[in-house]
Amino acid sequence: MMINPVIENIRRSLGRTAQISSPQGTLLSLHPAICEPRLPKSVDSEIEYFLSEIKKLSGIGQRLSADKIADAVKILVSEHNIQKATIWDTPYLKQLGIADSLRSLGVELISPNANKHDMALCDLGITEADYLLPETGTLVLRSSVEKPRGVSLLPRIHLAVIRPEMLRADMHQVFAEAKDSRYLVFITGPSRTADIELTVTLGVHGPKNLYVWMIDG
Amino acid sequence: MNRATQPYIGFEEYSEHVPQSIPLAVQQATSRFVSGRAARVAELPQWEELRQIGSDIRQHTMENMDVYLTRLEAALQSAGGHVHWAEKAEDARRIVLQIAKEHNVKTAVKSKSMATEEIELNHALEAAGIQAIETDLGEYIIQLAGTGPSHIIVPAVHLKKEEIAALFSEKLDIHAPADPIELARIAREVLREKFLHAEMGISGGNFLIAETGTLVMVTNEGNGRMCTTMPDLHVAVVGIDKVVPDWESLTVFLKLLARSATGQKLSTYTQFITGPRRAEGEFGPEEFHLVLLDNGRSKILKDPVGRDVLKCIRCGACANVCPVYKNVGGFAYGSFISGPIGAILSPQMLGTQTARELPYASTLCGACADVCPVKIPIPTILRHLRRRVAQGDEFSALTVPVPIRVAAMFASIALAWNWIYRLGARLLPVINPFFRRNGWLSGMPYPLSRWTKVRPLPPFTARFRRWWNVRSAKWKDST
Amino acid sequence: MSKAQLFITCLGDQFYTATLRNMTLLLERLGVELTFPAEQTCCGQPLFNNGFEEKTRPVAMNFMRAFSTSDAPIIAPSGSCVSMVKHHYPSLFNAGTPEHVLAVEIASRTFEFTEYLVNVLKITDVGAVYPHKVTYHASCHYLREMGLKTEAKTLLNAVKDLELVSLNEEETCCGFGGAFTVTYPEVSRSMMENKVNNIISSGADTVITCEPGCLMNVAGGLYKAGSKIRAMHIIDLLSSKEEPA
Repeated sequence: MMINPVIENIRRSLGRTAQISSPQGTLLSLHPAICEPRLPKSVDSEIEYFLSEIKKLSGIGQRLSADKIADAVKILVSEHNIQKATIWDTPYLKQLGIADSLRSLGVELISPNANKHDMALCDLGITEADYLLPETGTLVLRSSVEKPRGVSLLPRIHLAVIRPEMLRADMHQVFAEAKDSRYLVFITGPSRTADIELTVTLGVHGPKNLYVWMIDG
Repeated sequence: MNRATQPYIGFEEYSEHVPQSIPLAVQQATSRFVSGRAARVAELPQWEELRQIGSDIRQHTMENMDVYLTRLEAALQSAGGHVHWAEKAEDARRIVLQIAKEHNVKTAVKSKSMATEEIELNHALEAAGIQAIETDLGEYIIQLAGTGPSHIIVPAVHLKKEEIAALFSEKLDIHAPADPIELARIAREVLREKFLHAEMGISGGNFLIAETGTLVMVTNEGNGRMCTTMPDLHVAVVGIDKVVPDWESLTVFLKLLARSATGQKLSTYTQFITGPRRAEGEFGPEEFHLVLLDNGRSKILKDPVGRDVLKCIRCGACANVCPVYKNVGGFAYGSFISGPIGAILSPQMLGTQTARELPYASTLCGACADVCPVKIPIPTILRHLRRRVAQGDEFSALTVPVPIRVAAMFASIALAWNWIYRLGARLLPVINPFFRRNGWLSGMPYPLSRWTKVRPLPPFTARFRRWWNVRSAKWKDST
Repeated sequence: MSKAQLFITCLGDQFYTATLRNMTLLLERLGVELTFPAEQTCCGQPLFNNGFEEKTRPVAMNFMRAFSTSDAPIIAPSGSCVSMVKHHYPSLFNAGTPEHVLAVEIASRTFEFTEYLVNVLKITDVGAVYPHKVTYHASCHYLREMGLKTEAKTLLNAVKDLELVSLNEEETCCGFGGAFTVTYPEVSRSMMENKVNNIISSGADTVITCEPGCLMNVAGGLYKAGSKIRAMHIIDLLSSKEEPA
């Protein structure tokens, strides 16, 4: 058995002569203040809470019904002069027909599984979200072949198309469900920095614009 | 940080030569972060409870660090990650270089990592012919400038936009305007190319979840995501003290960290990375390596008082409220970590010969302890390290200069033998006429000159005892 | 009748005779019978705070001997000195030794002046008159180690004709820190100047503190800045019967 000098140092410092496999003492993770669940009032109030937090972060959120999507896509494309876009290949996004709307507006669709160089040329990346956290206006995204990380990262505009059923009361719930993910990212607003004279600048390395469309009704 | 090569940290000398622009800039940053933090704390009625729980979790983890690190290793390995153990800074550098060589790395993009600054990784990479590019905007700027960080969270805050524009213009051979938004855009363009072509991404880590072998990164700009998503190889260098038992425990630190650091509820991007990408065709690295850095932490663990420094989550809240730090900035602390936490970490990592001035770089005002999210008792540790300097302890022989030791001895005798003290108190007023001006004493000789060069001393007027005795005698006479 | 012992502090002894006289007369006026153990010197804080714990012990022993002939409470015009006795004396001696027992006992009956007035004697109005605009500097150990957050302002608010104005960065250290002033004089200077500037911009003509150390620093700083603002110990203000002009 290889002797790990770091572990040996630690054991020596803690005054342990033998290896132990279980921690001594109780971990307070069962402390009430940690796992006291947040009890949201209603779905509607959660949605409003979520969208108001998004606004505070300089994100642009709106509620719309599925039939209004095509119009919203048109406005987005013209406002930001979208030439190339990439979109997650999920059943729901296919159902909403966003890719078709984009194509009809002359936007070139790049595959979500394209290599990073090609995807980096996209103006717009469209994803869903796996979970939503209203308290902080956070989008939680897992990653897989169908839901590549690059789509929410490389283009200068990130559009997240979300639904009320993604809402979770708090981080505890999300972790309980998603801790076995190989990759998880919490997105709380557009990319930002204050490194130069504390002037807040958006879109440093990640997307500059974050759009959130809550589809209900 | 290397005990062997680290030069003596002359805090007094450094603090006396700080250009005024630095504290001014630092204070703008700190006051913004302080008011942001206050607003976020006011929103959470359970804030004090969270701090205590955070402190308790860190305590428990420290006492079982071997168990949790072993769990972390096993979990990460079964997720397909590689785990390396670096006892010293040079081991960590060697491991990273080895990985880079095996993968023919020419360019590495780096996300902000204090651990890699601690081990001076960039120098080692450059020496091996590998271009190591800092991608966090503040770190990128100070890398171009060739200086260290003036603040833990905003390392380039001491530079004006004009200076940064000049820096970009010179180093990038362009014409850069003195506008923060334009400068950020230039950095975005330049660094985007690097992200897309680098063979290796290097990061640090804010936490390591033992339960699943997960690396947690808390960032704002997106470079943390780029470094860990674009290259095929990701190497994370993380201190062993960053381990957290499980996801439930982590919730506490995520609630405490961003609020304490910048006054955000959460930073823009929090990533949870468990090993390399799962499948071909997915974004993310093929290979993930975690380098666990000891570099003196396991030794600090032995000191029951000093080891509370290992609870630190690197938020910078202590620096933001420290009146000493705010008046001198980060450079005066002589290492990659400054402010109150620097004053208690550097002496423990580098020893109380090199860093003997740092435990004294404080008035023990206690503002830091009030805001530390994990309740590190910084003034207690400062006094503990002062004892190490002044009289030595089981970890180190004393290092205090002889004249100070002699002065302390005289003071102890004069204050313990009360007849000496009382005699002195009666004699001191004799010197008043020589230095008295407008009711104050000024221009006094060494060592009192160190006081009077800043502001005058009140005259020595120890007359209370006589007044009391005269009064008591009067009463005795009248009764 | 209450009994108490005067702990005058080394700085009080050297520089603030008037404040100590005022403290004596004020407490007696409030019905406290005072004694003054003459063997006292210093609590030992300057040695202790600078890491000379072993050299502090004999100084602490002198203090404890001086104040143990009577079991009456010990009152000092300084939060930092009281904190030294209350919070650090017991740690100077090994548990179970007679010195430790004595230290714990003495710690339990040592009080800072405003603490004693407000929390023990339950007195908040001492009949003082001070028709001025006054601002208050919250000394670090008084505030944080002693936890005295409201006592000083309670007393100030009861003073007749006194207008209390807020001080920007009220709770920020003034740069005294004991030996810090001579260890890092230039950093101390910056901190002192910051405090002085805040005091000047408060609009007050008087600044109050409960610590002789802060008082020395701030008063000297105001003088150096050419300011006419008076720096006073709270005891001197509470002894004031100054009628409006």
